[in-house]
Amino acid sequence: MLVQNDKRCTMNIVWIVVAIIIFTILPNFISGYYIRILTAIFMYAVLSQCINLMSGYMGYLPFGHVMFFGIGAYMTAILMRGNLPFIVAMLLASLSAIVVSIILGFPVLRLRGHYFAIATIGMNGALMTVVQNIDITGGARGTTFPIIMLPPGQVYSYFYYAFLALMIITTFAIYFIVNSRFGFAIRSIKANEDAANSMGINTTNTKVVTWAIAALFTSIAGGLYGYWMSFIAPDEVFDLMFITNSIIMMLIGGAGTILGPVIGAFIVETVSEFAWSGFMEYHLAVLGIITIIIVFFVPGGVIGTITEKIRDRKIAASIKSEVAANDR
Amino acid sequence: MIDNNNVILDVRAISRHFGALKAVDRVSFQVRKGEIIGLIGPNGAGKTTITNLVTGDLKKNAGEVHYKGTDVSSMQPFQIARIGLTRTYQIVKPLQGMTVEENVLVGSLYGRGNRINDLSNARKTVHDVMELVGLYKKKDFMVSDVTLPDLKRMEFARVLAMDPEVVFLDEVMAGLNPSEVEESMELVKKVREDRQLTIVYIEHIMKAVMGISDRIIVLHHGKKICEGSPQEVRDNPAVIEAYLGKKYAKEVMKANE
Repeated sequence: MLVQNDKRCTMNIVWIVVAIIIFTILPNFISGYYIRILTAIFMYAVLSQCINLMSGYMGYLPFGHVMFFGIGAYMTAILMRGNLPFIVAMLLASLSAIVVSIILGFPVLRLRGHYFAIATIGMNGALMTVVQNIDITGGARGTTFPIIMLPPGQVYSYFYYAFLALMIITTFAIYFIVNSRFGFAIRSIKANEDAANSMGINTTNTKVVTWAIAALFTSIAGGLYGYWMSFIAPDEVFDLMFITNSIIMMLIGGAGTILGPVIGAFIVETVSEFAWSGFMEYHLAVLGIITIIIVFFVPGGVIGTITEKIRDRKIAASIKSEVAANDR
Repeated sequence: MIDNNNVILDVRAISRHFGALKAVDRVSFQVRKGEIIGLIGPNGAGKTTITNLVTGDLKKNAGEVHYKGTDVSSMQPFQIARIGLTRTYQIVKPLQGMTVEENVLVGSLYGRGNRINDLSNARKTVHDVMELVGLYKKKDFMVSDVTLPDLKRMEFARVLAMDPEVVFLDEVMAGLNPSEVEESMELVKKVREDRQLTIVYIEHIMKAVMGISDRIIVLHHGKKICEGSPQEVRDNPAVIEAYLGKKYAKEVMKANE
């Protein structure tokens, strides 16, 4: 899986570079409407990738993870009103998200399974209520970002490239994390937390650090989203639908695979934009049914199913060659 | 090979209760470096509970566990594993969703002193260990695709990859056929020689326990009822009674006289 398959590895790198180049030059050929859709896809890919790290790789589904999205958006807005440039405000905001994730992580990551998921929802709700009721965030009316000083066309491509870069960075970062020594600890926790602990893995620290990494990328996405929308309200950036969508994308693309969330984001966003825009809210029901079907019949998602096929073929070939060697 | 002056593990009056049930009741024993200790007893005697207490999987109610002079009885399992005191599980705990090789790799990456940071080095250790336990051919199989004896081998390999000093082997031979038991006994002996391991060996297969243990500790209803060489244990009336009941114990004693 790591370096055994040099040829396939090189091919993958070639495909990824080609895809990156295509998406880099694409805005020159398409209209603002498509640029906006692609930007949303990239943003969802980032969120889905963070959910994938937590749930797909570590087995902890952080349903209320959108709280870091909200923290990122609000902290960026507040700091930018304090006349900080966007990049600085965004980085400080993500730092605060990391601090929050560590403080909350130590108590809440002791919970397992559904209890953890529900606890994070509660925390998200609590945080949203706080944001709705204090002055510095503008209360329930929401808050605005400073106007971006660019012509409208460039604003579109500004956020297109920002989210594209964030998606690429997030995906590569998570790829290197899960294939490192630390990644084996993350995957062991999903597989069997007690066994992981008895093998010398500090499970508590591993879980908290992983959550902090997920919070980092989510909060950057939140800051960018807020600046993109230029106006944010509490019930918008703390909306659990962001996470619900991200989970569906992860499941369709393939949980616990590195490209799954990206593929899933493309599939779900494209389909909901073009096929279901006429049906309004019905598409939520359809998404729900699709999710159930996937969990029951194709639990690996798109990428997971493909890699499973490849591995099965490899093992079958090795058994075949062994049998042939014995016959001789 | 056995260093009589070097007590590596010293269990002092350890106790654990589950409600009114005294699963382990003030059990003390010492393990010297390089020894193979057999830990036997009827079902429910408290063998696995003692293992859980020593490796930190369960919290004790009373008593102390000294490993190389430090009290480890209030440490976390991962801390205990990192100083070289490890165990296998009676009910195997493979890391699902990973290959056999990756399972062993995790042991090598996070074992004692977590000294191997680099993946290719760890992989080499893993291949050596898997060769040793006879699992190398199945390294690319998912753990869900291999048989129970292979999982037991994998757990053993995983523990060895952690480079431990003291290993608790909790029924590694359960489910093996007689020739596999034979192989497994040879393997345990070989590993002890090669790696200067100290082994605490929990097993129901008497042939295996009697064959490889230097000393045997017998538990019954959470209490230690006997400790000594295999021969001493075999002739001990309390042990015979625990296994066969009072009536047969008397008959056996008579026959021996």
